[in-house]
Amino acid sequence: MGKIIALHSYKGGTGKTLLSVNLAATYVKKGKNVCLLDLDFRAPSLHAVFKANNSEYWLNDYLNGVCEIDKVLVDVTQEHGRSGKFFVGLANPATEAIREMSAKDRKWEMRALGRLLSLKTSLLNDMHLDYVILDTSPGLQYSSINAIVSADVVLVVTSLDASDIKGTQRMTHELYDLFEKKTGILMNKVLAEILSSKKEKKKFYERFNNLHKLPILEALPCFCDVLRAGGTYIFSEEKLEHPFTKTLDKLATKIEKF
Amino acid sequence: MAVYKKLEGKSTRILEKIKESLDRLNEKMDVMIEIQKHDQKVNPEIPDVLDVMTLLSLPDHLRKTAVTLCKFGEATAEEVAEQTKRARAVESGYLNQLVIMGYLKKERRGRKAYFYVEKEG
Repeated sequence: MGKIIALHSYKGGTGKTLLSVNLAATYVKKGKNVCLLDLDFRAPSLHAVFKANNSEYWLNDYLNGVCEIDKVLVDVTQEHGRSGKFFVGLANPATEAIREMSAKDRKWEMRALGRLLSLKTSLLNDMHLDYVILDTSPGLQYSSINAIVSADVVLVVTSLDASDIKGTQRMTHELYDLFEKKTGILMNKVLAEILSSKKEKKKFYERFNNLHKLPILEALPCFCDVLRAGGTYIFSEEKLEHPFTKTLDKLATKIEKF
Repeated sequence: MAVYKKLEGKSTRILEKIKESLDRLNEKMDVMIEIQKHDQKVNPEIPDVLDVMTLLSLPDHLRKTAVTLCKFGEATAEEVAEQTKRARAVESGYLNQLVIMGYLKKERRGRKAYFYVEKEG
């Protein structure tokens, strides 16, 4: 049985989308069948990465009950597949759609949760996918909490920013723990010198394990090469020997055993 | 005189019957008023929509039951108990509590009671 992984964070700009895309590509490289879903309806991003702006149906339509999930999924295996199949489900980037999604009432959100929960059957059981990766909106919002409830594993992306660390700690007690989710921390944009030696790295992991009371699955250094790519291509797909790609390979294996 | 007494006895019995009927009607009215009060919610801040914000506000033991039922869509207490690894009777109690709180609905089909959030369609 496959796994649904949600990437979430307290603050925006922590690197959720970059890590979601690259983690999905890493699993595809490993021969896994993967589906990546953009649940950030306030700031849709995946359409830009996969250059699929003219989808007939969006994830918005699936949650609105207009169509089933198979109509939404775009098969990008030909362009991005290596060994496994690769599907993406996009959020509608039109301003009108963003406005519409932010004005939904509680009853709609309740139904949306039901539709997200049923993805376990449609994607993992019926389509036999190995991983469904959910890229979410930051903070405590309906769409992201719905995603967290639907996920088997939650990866919290956090930076070294003090307000981000405090917010993440609060969300651990007031969100992830309450839903008894298997949760791991990804420390992103860590200064390279902090991870320069084994001793320093060990100290860093110990400090943040204690601080978050959650396992630190990986600490990813800030790579200029990744920034330079600017999201114009999938880094872990193109730069196979780069340390960022190697770190993601390690992370993917850790999540498999998590 | 005897006829008068007979008539008096008959009207007393009729009046007593009317009083009994009025009392029963009063009791029924009280129940209806209580039901209406419950429907309108004494505290209007408590919603009757089982969304994630409601799930977060529930006590831990009810949240586990409610999340499990959301995953099923519709289930019996036995099916929920299998998932939560708690006793069927315990889950039955929690599910009924969620019904009283207005978050779930219950339907009897034969000997089994089915709980659900909302009917499809």
